[in-house]
Amino acid sequence: MQNNLTNRREDEGLSQGELAGAVGVTRQTINAIERNRYDPSLELAFKLADHFDCRIEEIFEPDQDE
Amino acid sequence: MTATNTNSKLTRQRYRGLVYGIGGLAILGLLAGFVLDQHFAGTLVYLLGAWIAGGIAVLAPMWSEATLQDERDWELHNRASGILIGITMVLGLSILPALYVLEAGNHLEITGVVSGVILTFSALFLLYGVCFGIAKRRV
Repeated sequence: MQNNLTNRREDEGLSQGELAGAVGVTRQTINAIERNRYDPSLELAFKLADHFDCRIEEIFEPDQDE
Repeated sequence: MTATNTNSKLTRQRYRGLVYGIGGLAILGLLAGFVLDQHFAGTLVYLLGAWIAGGIAVLAPMWSEATLQDERDWELHNRASGILIGITMVLGLSILPALYVLEAGNHLEITGVVSGVILTFSALFLLYGVCFGIAKRRV
């Protein structure tokens, strides 16, 4: 799954730790999501979408071959 | 999931340091007791350390306001357990029957140590099955 979390986070001037704190996960998890090494749970995806006031599909999109 | 409280004194780094540090001290204490012929004291240090480290590892994430563990940690544990079980199962299924057949043909002898290892692995698999059943009932 691809995402634009890094851009959205940087647009808000947040560090990974600050975003992690806002959605209740560790900084390492945000880092792993941004590097496309971890796909978040639906619950976390909703929290991120809620934080950025957008829909999940605006942050995450499946890989082309999925 | 709980929100991260950045003012919390127990950070993820400190939490890990505590658990691994106390666990490491416990193992060192056990080894020191063994080397210095103080087996009882070494065992006592080990048990204390293991219980304290285990207690912190399990209870701190429940009690702390900071996010010490999250869904990615559980995912990592899940994957690691899967790999461990897979490797053990492949090794066990491929080696154990051959061992017993070779022993029956008097080509080798299964010693007490090997028997102990086999029993331990069997018990672990049984325990895994029980835990899997419990986990399945909850999901």
